[in-house]
Amino acid sequence: MAHRIITLCYRKVIDSSSVKPWDTLVFEDSYTEFKMQAQLYNQEKKYRTFAELLQHAPGAEKLHFLVSAAVIGYLQQLNEIIPDILNNLGKHFLRFNQFQFEIINSDIQDKTKHQVAFNFYSEPLVWHDTIQNYLLVSEKKAGEEEILTNLFQLQPYLNIHSLQTEA
Amino acid sequence: MERKNFLKSLLLGALTTPVLLTACDKNEDTVTPSEGTTDSGSGTVTNPGTSSSSCTVAPTETEGPFPTKAPASYVRSDITNGRSGYKMTAKITIGNTNNNCAGLANAIVDIWHCDAEGNYSEYGGSGMQSTNYQSVHFLRGRQVTDANGLVTFTSIFPGWYNGRATHIHVHIYNANGTSLKVTQIAFPEGSGTAVAAVNGYNKGLSGYTYNSRDNVFSDDSAGVQIATVTGNTTDGFELAIKLNVAA
Repeated sequence: MAHRIITLCYRKVIDSSSVKPWDTLVFEDSYTEFKMQAQLYNQEKKYRTFAELLQHAPGAEKLHFLVSAAVIGYLQQLNEIIPDILNNLGKHFLRFNQFQFEIINSDIQDKTKHQVAFNFYSEPLVWHDTIQNYLLVSEKKAGEEEILTNLFQLQPYLNIHSLQTEA
Repeated sequence: MERKNFLKSLLLGALTTPVLLTACDKNEDTVTPSEGTTDSGSGTVTNPGTSSSSCTVAPTETEGPFPTKAPASYVRSDITNGRSGYKMTAKITIGNTNNNCAGLANAIVDIWHCDAEGNYSEYGGSGMQSTNYQSVHFLRGRQVTDANGLVTFTSIFPGWYNGRATHIHVHIYNANGTSLKVTQIAFPEGSGTAVAAVNGYNKGLSGYTYNSRDNVFSDDSAGVQIATVTGNTTDGFELAIKLNVAA
């Protein structure tokens, strides 16, 4: 029987309304780093927002990467477990190795405009079945008769990132 | 300052809660507005991300791990990150032109340079995904100057790429993170120099851009951007330069 192998992407948005301790640390430190690094692309102090920098300053798209250094330490503290997404027992179950950090918006003079996101890419999962709006998945492992599965609900900011069919 | 912001963000969170309540009421669900703590009750609402409200079970796990304040991954003296090449110690002194070029303490100094092949650490390709977050920011570092204005980095001797002489980028900030100067460090050239000894690693120096033809360094006829570089390929190299800024 053909197996459908999927990876999920959870996009965790963090902004000035975020209240969890981890989120606020990421918010504060990424904003501080943004203000520092943005000066590299704004030496004439002409621009104020991240959008302006992206549009007018050559190379400013590197700010995604450059600012990510401020939050790598927090990423490590997650121990490779994707936050917020729970199975139907209320437990975290998704593991990640790959991520992408992005600046959505920012403003060097207005911290409340600062908004960033982590895209967490899950490890490959076998998608066995769909029960209403729940997906039944298991970790991709070879040659076991009984496999342990997780049931989780489709929800905002969670996407099926890739699909592969295995014979 | 940090605490104030933290409290402010808590307040903002409190202000936005009614919005979430309204959103959830439409779905006629039990509401558990408890993002900050682990809820062990039978709540049915959780809020992944910040502003979405989906209808899934609330977290029911033991709290933790607890986040702790972490510095930017740039903050380290050894920026090698496993990149291979000849060891190089860079000693950069920051002077203050508003104080007779005396050493400037507590300045923040960022440096970055390419690896032996001429590549910088950055997001590659369209996917922009990184697997190994231990070494994503290789050959990039940040240090704060001591009382004498000195910072020291351990790295490798930079390689080169088309169109540029060997160089190290430097961004100097004051203690508050305000930019004071963005500049580059050049290397001495000719027989007996480190550039000649390293010989472009595996690339050789065919097609190399020398300082006099480099679009950044060619106007530096006085050579103020050129560092002193000593050492050899066996013991490693030591680079020293003083960069003066108005602070």
